[in-house]
Amino acid sequence: MMRRILAIVALVAMGFAQPSTFEHQVDLSPLAGVAVQTDGRIKSFGSFARGELGFISGPRSIAGQSPEFTYFDIAFRPDAYADADIIFVKGGAVRAPIAQALLAADPSLEARMSSFMKTGLISEALLARSEATDIMATLAADLLRTAKPMDAVRSARALMRPETLLSRLRVVPPARSDAQGRWSSIADIMLLAADPSALRVAQHTATALPGIDEATQLACARSWRNMVEGWTNGDAARVNEAIVAFAACLRAMNPADYPDGDRLSWESWYFANGNLVWIWIVYAFSVVLLLLSISYRWRWAKVGGFALFAIAFLLQTAALGLRWWIADRWPNSNMFEAVTTAAWMGACAAIPMEFALRRRAASGLIALASAVASAVALMAAHFLPVQLNAQISNMMPVLHDVWLYIHTNVIIFSYCLIFMAAVSALGYLVHRAAGGEAAFARAGGAEVSLEAAPLRGRRRAEVLDGVTMQLMKLSFILLWTGIAMGAIWADHSWGRPWGWDPKEVFALNTFVVFALLVHVRYRVKDKGLWTAVLAVVGAAVMLFNWIVINFVITGLHSYA
Amino acid sequence: MARLPMALLRGLLRFLSSVRVGIALLVLLFIYMSVGSAGIVYPVHPNLFHPDAWVHAQLRQWRLFEMTEFEWFHWWPFDLLIGLIAATMIVTTVRRIPFRPVNYGVWTIHAGILVLILGSVIYFEQKVEGDAPVARRKVVVRVDGVVEPVELLASAGSRAVVGTGGNRREIEVVEVDPNWEIRTTTEAGRVAYSVTVSVTGASGRFMRQLIAGHPEFTEDLLITNDPKQPVKRAIKERGTAIVDATVSMALEYESQSYLYLRNDLAKAWAIYVRPVGSGEWTMRRADGIPLYNDRISSSADVFGSDESHAAMDPMAVRVPAAPEGDPFPDVELSIEGYLRYAETRSRLVAGGSSAPLNPTVEVRVASPDGAQAEYRLVASDPERATADGGLIRMVNLASEDGLKSLTREATVRIAIPGALVDVTEPVRGHTGEGEAPFATIGDPELGYSYRVLAAQDNLPVGSRTASVLIVDLKTPTRTIRRWVFDDPSLTRDIPEGADAHAMPGPPDESVVMEYFPGGGRSLVTVVTGPSPERLRIVSAIGDGEAMVHEAAVRTPIEIGAGLRATIVSYEPRAVIETRPIIVAPEERIRDAREMFAQVLVAAPGGDRRWVEFSLYAVDNARFALPRHPFHPARLKLADGREMEVLFSRERLPLKTEAALEDFVLTTHDGGYTGEQGSIRNYTSMIRFRDTPTASWTAPVAVSVNDPVEHNGYWYFQAQWDPPEGPSARSQRGSPGLNYTVLGVGNREGVWIQLSGCVIAVLGMAYAFYVKPVIIRRRMGQARGAPA
Repeated sequence: MMRRILAIVALVAMGFAQPSTFEHQVDLSPLAGVAVQTDGRIKSFGSFARGELGFISGPRSIAGQSPEFTYFDIAFRPDAYADADIIFVKGGAVRAPIAQALLAADPSLEARMSSFMKTGLISEALLARSEATDIMATLAADLLRTAKPMDAVRSARALMRPETLLSRLRVVPPARSDAQGRWSSIADIMLLAADPSALRVAQHTATALPGIDEATQLACARSWRNMVEGWTNGDAARVNEAIVAFAACLRAMNPADYPDGDRLSWESWYFANGNLVWIWIVYAFSVVLLLLSISYRWRWAKVGGFALFAIAFLLQTAALGLRWWIADRWPNSNMFEAVTTAAWMGACAAIPMEFALRRRAASGLIALASAVASAVALMAAHFLPVQLNAQISNMMPVLHDVWLYIHTNVIIFSYCLIFMAAVSALGYLVHRAAGGEAAFARAGGAEVSLEAAPLRGRRRAEVLDGVTMQLMKLSFILLWTGIAMGAIWADHSWGRPWGWDPKEVFALNTFVVFALLVHVRYRVKDKGLWTAVLAVVGAAVMLFNWIVINFVITGLHSYA
Repeated sequence: MARLPMALLRGLLRFLSSVRVGIALLVLLFIYMSVGSAGIVYPVHPNLFHPDAWVHAQLRQWRLFEMTEFEWFHWWPFDLLIGLIAATMIVTTVRRIPFRPVNYGVWTIHAGILVLILGSVIYFEQKVEGDAPVARRKVVVRVDGVVEPVELLASAGSRAVVGTGGNRREIEVVEVDPNWEIRTTTEAGRVAYSVTVSVTGASGRFMRQLIAGHPEFTEDLLITNDPKQPVKRAIKERGTAIVDATVSMALEYESQSYLYLRNDLAKAWAIYVRPVGSGEWTMRRADGIPLYNDRISSSADVFGSDESHAAMDPMAVRVPAAPEGDPFPDVELSIEGYLRYAETRSRLVAGGSSAPLNPTVEVRVASPDGAQAEYRLVASDPERATADGGLIRMVNLASEDGLKSLTREATVRIAIPGALVDVTEPVRGHTGEGEAPFATIGDPELGYSYRVLAAQDNLPVGSRTASVLIVDLKTPTRTIRRWVFDDPSLTRDIPEGADAHAMPGPPDESVVMEYFPGGGRSLVTVVTGPSPERLRIVSAIGDGEAMVHEAAVRTPIEIGAGLRATIVSYEPRAVIETRPIIVAPEERIRDAREMFAQVLVAAPGGDRRWVEFSLYAVDNARFALPRHPFHPARLKLADGREMEVLFSRERLPLKTEAALEDFVLTTHDGGYTGEQGSIRNYTSMIRFRDTPTASWTAPVAVSVNDPVEHNGYWYFQAQWDPPEGPSARSQRGSPGLNYTVLGVGNREGVWIQLSGCVIAVLGMAYAFYVKPVIIRRRMGQARGAPA
């Protein structure tokens, strides 16, 4: 009995014991405030490393390690990664032929190839085998189908070479403070030494960078070398000591103009926490409670649903504000930002609307629609990190215009309202499918939603239809206005207000569906049903525009 | 009789005032727009759930339609649809919607949309959109005694020849630096545009540097043998800034007077013609040439590929003479083929017994370990007579005596006139790998020695061939690398320590060397002639003498060291055929647009040939911008005249001249790093001049999102000249920023369009938010009214 108890105690102790691996002993937190210049931006080291590893491993993490640790580890111990499955290959059309070629030559790879087909991760050593290089050359030659993913694989292989990782690590700030000042790579100074002969590096010709205090450069180089030596020897204490010194001397090179450390740290935190898109879970719970409250009129569900919705909204606002701060621009210039900001705008509109409807029959419906929109948008951002890439990058020159903020925000706001209208329209359709009466909102359409009455029976159909119409009306005006504003921008940006670009055409098509909705509603008897059906069709056309047109049929709007 | 038209009119009005008709028209509009923009998907597999069961296609690009997006949305069915929608709106609004406060909204919306339609009709009817490339500068060269100045684009690699005989000068732009820092005078520290031009004449070569806006800084640079400073300023070396005053040069604006219509908006093909050698192109519109689909009338028009069968679809587009100023008013050209994406290839084919002698062989060399290589050799073509760096070659003998020289050993004659040494030695000691030891020349005490580094025989040099022996030559005072040619006038020295770009100088006359290539350095020589059917292989493998083997097609011959040579095919009278080959879709560069298009141009009774696409109709290759294809071609007409033709896009006069003063790249933090993300904005500083005698306007900034209007056209920043590293095109690479491409267009009617949009928005706001209030108020009044 005693032995059994001891065994259990031992097992528990093992479970709670801190892992003693090198990875967990190394403390990279001092690097959170270190800036790296890349692609025209100053990034925190954390966000930089995450972005770079994204080019190697796509959305996959490597052995559960932090990107910062992995970046250094590949640079300092490349042999350890030579046969590790860390290179991400996108798409079955490319994975399958590579896996087949490797398997045909070496059947013992079956388990690895099966995993490769699922995760897309493969090792450099396997890709370097002749059977893989042959098939990859063929795939790279097909410019129509497979050249792009093969290009990404080629970049990934080039990037994971230590010399590339080091030369891309532009952490040395410029001596001067203007925007043209060039950042230098750690590779430019790491071989600086007071006594070069002690370095044991053949033919090194490092000279100090002009304009920066040479002693600081020497100190930086020394601490960097200490870190590398500590790392390769598995000496975590030495690494930790060197990291602190290294981070401090980088800032000391140009303390007056070095980027704000707080902002860099928050940037690292933001990305380390999955861009905060996990907020979708809070929205999802609020959806459940609001649905219960609407279906069963349970007061506790209503209070809980609203409370969760408010919490989720506050969290999302914080996430958006944080991103705005660290990116130094309003987040609406790539797909990730457009989708998440659109959802936030929907929530912004839902709150005053709910406040206005707080004692009305429609209370809770708009919050529900908004919560569904936000949950779906954030889920998409969470589960499709490749398509909705969260990396912060510079906007292309054409986007630097005041109309980016006007046109894009109006359009994405209207898209969110269209989605929300589709949610209430689906509610109407479910109600009808469940045998509900063929009622619709009378007297001016949507105003029924403003009336105080219990939400049941015939009223439920009327109110659902009324809410759909309320959202439709707003989105109808916003979509039209947004399209016109886009035309104003296009007129001075591309030289024509309207170019029949697929994205323009499908925005207009969405409007045509709603024009149809208005006229059909006027003409048919079962107004509620047709309104709901066309609201859902309109949302489908909007989503088609956002997803298929963006990712499949490229046009001038390919960046949005 | 008058009743029928009235009845018809009433019926039409009834039809147009039906909301159902309006709804049907909107549905048709939705379908038409969706199909035209996104295309269609259709099944190609009986199992509709099969992963490859569905195919996506752009319907408008099909052979039947051949339409761009713009063309699809300006086709008559679309115009009809919009016309019917407008008519329905007007009739319905007037007949069925009483003009009362409650309906003001819908009246306003419909009015707004009608105004928008009107504005769009005006806009698209008059729309002109194109692009205009503007380079920074041209170099104008004048040589004393030569009447006509020569102009060439200030772009690295541009070349021209001025004058003839003793006045002949070869001009080449060797470097363009858009960010040259001025180091002297009050301008010191300012950045200017610098162009360096190389001038080679009978008296030697020098370079001249020109600074835009500062003719006073023009100066010549001398090429020296000093490896530390291979180029020196003439002012310091000779005390004069200009070493050859007979050559004068100036930088002038390379202005643009045309815009070229965008072909991806609406097809705007044009054929340009001119007599050969004449500078001005005359544009002929070529309506009817497709854009997306290949069209050929015979499989013989192209070299066969998987795509050529699908391209069989004869066409004949007439290209008549331009209404005015056409140099060939009597010649109507015909376009008989079109290829969207093709490459021109040349192949050797059997020419038949009447063709002139042109021996070609295909020879395969196999090693004992199974490795093999195949070569196609053409005896008469210096570039194709040898392969593998000269290890294998082909020679056609005019007489049997030639065979002896093929087996002769290569020798080098070395003479030291000052020491009365004159020896001729066989060329030995170079293996191509490692460095051979130095061999003394004459008495070792003289201190002369040499070693052979490499030999290259029969190198194509201009229209002839030359052989060269590269040696290191030690004299008592220095070491020289010498290129010893079989033609002594070409022999040059490169001083020790000079870099790869150093200019070779005349040879040190204290040591005279002459190279006699002998049988050449080829290991394998395929010999044909003197009679056309005779085939031999001369093998120089191994240390012994060269061996001559009689050969026959498909009979392997042991040529030493275990190697076997087989003549796979032999054609004594080969002719070169040049035809395009259609590039497979998966091998095409995406977004290449029409860059690789070709048309088959036929002159009646004369030539019929493929002409590759040129992006702009510039005067000559000296003005073609880098990255912009320019492929004029010559056509022989029935009457023997020659016509130069160009396949490009329609162009329109700009009604002004636009010149590029400067191009400014604005960057994000860290400056331009070569990454796209580091660029913040592109700005072209443009000057305009409406007549040749007027003065240029002050520079105006045209940047992204910030166009400039001048003389009826708007100018937009469209493309730029990015810096690039060394490439096959330019060994030194380019700092870029040497030209801009402006988008140019008009915008008639946009204010009417915008007014329509605003009116419609006001109507929507009224209909959605004011009308319900009116209705509720009325309902409230009705409820409150006494019964």
